[in-house]
Amino acid sequence: MTPPTSPTVYSAATLPANDNVTAYAFCVDLDGQWFAQKGKMIAYYGDIRFQALSSGPLDALVAANFHSPLYSQDWIVAQGRGKLLLADRGFDVNSYDLDDGNLTIRAGNLLAFEPGLELKQSIIPGFLTLIGTGRFVAASNGPVHFVEPPIRVDPQALLGWADCPSPAHHYDHSYMRGVIGAARSMFGIGGTSGEEHQFDFTGQGTVLMQSSEVVADEDALLRDLEGQIGVLGVSGLQRLHHTIGRRLAAERQD
Amino acid sequence: MLAVELAGDTIRALNGSMVAYDGRMTFKRQGISGGEGLRGALKRRIAGEGMTLMEITGQGTVYLASEATEVTLVPLNGEAFFVESESLLALDGRLRTGVQFVGLRGMGTGQGLATTKVEGHGTVAILSDGPAIALEVTPQTPLSVDPHAYVAHSGQLRQDVVTDVNWRTVLGQGSGESVQFRYQGHGVVYVQPAERGGILEV
Repeated sequence: MTPPTSPTVYSAATLPANDNVTAYAFCVDLDGQWFAQKGKMIAYYGDIRFQALSSGPLDALVAANFHSPLYSQDWIVAQGRGKLLLADRGFDVNSYDLDDGNLTIRAGNLLAFEPGLELKQSIIPGFLTLIGTGRFVAASNGPVHFVEPPIRVDPQALLGWADCPSPAHHYDHSYMRGVIGAARSMFGIGGTSGEEHQFDFTGQGTVLMQSSEVVADEDALLRDLEGQIGVLGVSGLQRLHHTIGRRLAAERQD
Repeated sequence: MLAVELAGDTIRALNGSMVAYDGRMTFKRQGISGGEGLRGALKRRIAGEGMTLMEITGQGTVYLASEATEVTLVPLNGEAFFVESESLLALDGRLRTGVQFVGLRGMGTGQGLATTKVEGHGTVAILSDGPAIALEVTPQTPLSVDPHAYVAHSGQLRQDVVTDVNWRTVLGQGSGESVQFRYQGHGVVYVQPAERGGILEV
């Protein structure tokens, strides 16, 4: 047989330390603690324990570094010594260093971070903000592109942003325009391109984009929305039901 | 995609994986016995480790592919190689295949209680979601693997299912992740950078 490839055989000693193994897998040289998202670890060598954030001994660490109740059940702490391999759906995986900075990233794409960083929920739903100094690992579908504001980005292609103010929603004028807009929202017709809504970035900083529009299921975002349904009365729920039905019909047409 | 040059020799490949060829080729679907004899076929039936291979013989180049997944070549020098039948793309005609009962191991991935064993000298082509990563296991450095990322392994390895209570509470995103595989001994484990049948539709 002729190649594709026979892979390099890595051992615990030859695996790269805090670097990419392939474009799609990252190896953390663990000596202490790291926060990691559940289900993103594919293998590990050494003596590593995984603990839920709720477990008692981690109280101080969580109090200092993790400030997102919405996402707490998606995260764990890996503790010990060894080599930990991270990967996510065959996506590109990269590590980033923050030096006394801040960066906001799509929650589903953040795989792991060092306790030097603090995690907080962004104002934009579905995004998490990292503040401080340290390293984190994130996944993207296709390579990451760094661009500078002012720029408008498709919500699905947006991976995150650093140093600049949080974005604003931008809707194209044609989408806003009276009759067609109303007809569209009522009947789900009128040829929505799916591109009439963007995030608008201004100011100084960097915007991170992935080169596709594939995103993870926003499980936490759904939980958040579901949690808010409780405050709606029967009429509110009926209206929401109606809206979702229309939206579904429109999506099927696309 | 895998290109195999043949000079009168024979390989076995996943049924339906041929996408193109030049030269003269004959394709023969292996019957019920799959080249493992009646006893082997019976074992396979019981194990539910379904595998349909075809024999390809001829002169020229045959191109094999399956669902645009990555292909990894594993050279075998007499050691035993274990792979899920669904991850097997092709193998040298000289290699022998059989079914190995692995007990509880398959439970984690919902792939039954058996796996396919390949033995002999030659090359095996396996499929993975993203390029496979080969990880060596020695007595000093045992390896733990997420069942959903496991693709194959070779050598003299003892395979344990660890149902760490902690791991269960910590990693449960679906039912499958409550277990991890722990490998001890001498050998190589192949993992993929994605979780098979994951919770995410991409």
